Amino acid sequence: MRIVVCVKEVLDPDAVNNYALAGRLEIGEDGKSLTQTTIPRLMNGFDEQALEAALRLRDAGVECRIGAVSVGPDTATILKHAAALGADEIAALPMDDPTPDYHVAAALLAAYIRSSGDADLVLCGRQASDDDQGVVPALICEALGMPLVTNARAIELAPAADEPTLRITRVTPDGDEVVEVSCPAVVTVSNELGEPRYPTAAKKIAARRMKPEIITPEGLSLPAETLRPRVVAQRQFVPTVAGDCEFVPGESPAELAEALVARLRQDSLIQ
Amino acid sequence: MDAKPIVVCTWNESQGGLTVGAEEALTLGRGVAGATGAKLRLLVLGPLPEAAMETAGRFGADAVDWIEDAALEAFSPDAYVEALAGYCQQESPALVLFNQAADTRLVAPRLAGRVGAGVVMNGVDVSVGEGGGLQATASAYGGDTQMVYELSGAPSYVVALSANALLPEPAEGGPTEPECRVISSDLSGVQERVRVIEQARAEGPRLEDADIIVSGGRGLGGPENYKLIEQLAEALGGLAGASRPIVDEGWVDSSQQVGLTGKITRPALYLAAGISGASQHMAGCSAAKTIVAINSDPDAAIFRYARYGLVGDCLEILPELIRAARQ
Ligand SMILES: Cc1cc2nc3c(=O)[nH]c(=O)nc-3n(C[C@H](O)[C@H](O)[C@H](O)COP(=O)(O)OP(=O)(O)OC[C@H]3O[C@@H](n4cnc5c(N)ncnc54)[C@H](O)[C@@H]3O)c2cc1C
Ligand SMILES: Nc1ncnc2c1ncn2[C@@H]1O[C@H](COP(=O)(O)O)[C@@H](O)[C@H]1O
Repeated sequence: MRIVVCVKEVLDPDAVNNYALAGRLEIGEDGKSLTQTTIPRLMNGFDEQALEAALRLRDAGVECRIGAVSVGPDTATILKHAAALGADEIAALPMDDPTPDYHVAAALLAAYIRSSGDADLVLCGRQASDDDQGVVPALICEALGMPLVTNARAIELAPAADEPTLRITRVTPDGDEVVEVSCPAVVTVSNELGEPRYPTAAKKIAARRMKPEIITPEGLSLPAETLRPRVVAQRQFVPTVAGDCEFVPGESPAELAEALVARLRQDSLIQ
Repeated sequence: MDAKPIVVCTWNESQGGLTVGAEEALTLGRGVAGATGAKLRLLVLGPLPEAAMETAGRFGADAVDWIEDAALEAFSPDAYVEALAGYCQQESPALVLFNQAADTRLVAPRLAGRVGAGVVMNGVDVSVGEGGGLQATASAYGGDTQMVYELSGAPSYVVALSANALLPEPAEGGPTEPECRVISSDLSGVQERVRVIEQARAEGPRLEDADIIVSGGRGLGGPENYKLIEQLAEALGGLAGASRPIVDEGWVDSSQQVGLTGKITRPALYLAAGISGASQHMAGCSAAKTIVAINSDPDAAIFRYARYGLVGDCLEILPELIRAARQ
């Protein structure tokens, strides 16, 4: 089977958090992108886990070709990382806009998947840690007419099915749910899948020599209509948090605890 | 010509009521409808909840549109998307608003893809921009930033509102008397492609409904210390929650994760021990009425959100809190 994993480059969310905590998160002159050049760029964490899900299918004996594809201004680094982890093919869909419309990204990804020989399984992260939208997989599934399964923590081939069928354990607010879906399908992966593997040194070196195939919108002969943005980022800003924390006094843990419990009882928050 | 309607979409939740957040979405929808001279409608998929007409009226809707079909009785993404797509083609709404729950994520963006609409999730606001078009504000980076998106270029828009985006406000000047319009749909050709083999079974009370939550994070130091969180939760009559790293480490079950990719809670009291206060965690608890933080680092971000702060070692303070709470 052919598995295509969609991977996005994002700013390291932990670094963004640290800047935000220090009150040093700044928006650039365009009014919409973060300017801190020291924030590392990396593969979206959930996408790394989506790739891991593909590799685990292969480890489980599923014969597959794994492709990684990315839309963005400069995706070679994460694509090489994907190759080092075990992707057989890597493809870049260049797009310059630093805050691209995800409808356009989804249209490009869907067109690439179709034109490159279709996929039995499209794997995505549950959401990108920059925009947190979680919509690109849904837009891809609609463009390709495939079903969508979200928030997988485990993916395996269902035993004894007539046609290739996936058995997926998905994380829901009410606990785990097990579903089956026939291929082709779009599946998103959640952090509950567990730690992704690290590339070996040898694979890293081999991947360094790999060049992503570059695919332009013209090459996909997409109608201009599909490349028109639908939601245009105008402005990004850092919301303020109004802090009014009262530090509870006390010399010892016992004093602190008693002072807090007294306050919570006074506020009728506890009995 | 009339302005295209603003539609709030909801469906029957298991308790027989409207989906949580429908009132918030109606409140926001009423504002947008007022500003654009459009009608506000509440769209109900599947069985009409008893509260639907009354709630719609209280929040100033002009109509309740009801799509009744056997295929919509239980949540089924394929049938829901198909029904909504048919509705959008027939009624051409300017905006379809959802409240954002786990199920919504399977429906709202797919609807947008199906009908060529634009979509924004994690919405905190929709308003009329300077140019007269709609704009949506949504949180990004877990809430570290917010993004303002211009909604132009697509015939219609789908926006899902974050659970804690705003407070519901009934219409000023008393309830309206919405008409109930039954919308026909043909879903006979739809077969749900994702087959449920084993249903999720929530055991016991849900964090989303809890009045008191005690959560622990990496500051607990080790899985053996999570029992302090459970004991304090029990002593206070609440439930135990967790930050993501200790879920990822396997100390606790993922159903206990609070945050952007976990449970969105709104308790009266949220007590966080050994949790730093990263935006992605706060996304799941910042709607709590009172937040209490215990952290050994006086500069921890969590104190910016907290009403009461305790600076110290949570492994020393938690046992004392359990004792004091039991007295
Ligand atoms: C896309 C995305 C989604 C995410 N979703 C979620 C989510 O849903 N929920 C979530 O929680 N996180 C989520 N995260 C992770 C989030 O960014 C933080 O990494 C996480 O919340 C940190 O957990 P923590 O506070 O337990 O650990 P840390 O950040 O390591 O903080 C530990 C805290 O404990 C304090 N401490 C240490 N020792 C003690 C002690 N003895 N006594 C008292 N205090 C002590 C430290 O000072 C520190 O503040 C997400 C991240 C991303 C990128
Ligand atoms: N620019 C992109 N290139 C490749 N994959 C993407 C891109 N944007 C989104 N995706 C995929 O879609 C998932 C959800 O992204 P989003 O809808 O932006 O939150 C990501 O985890 C990726 O798997």
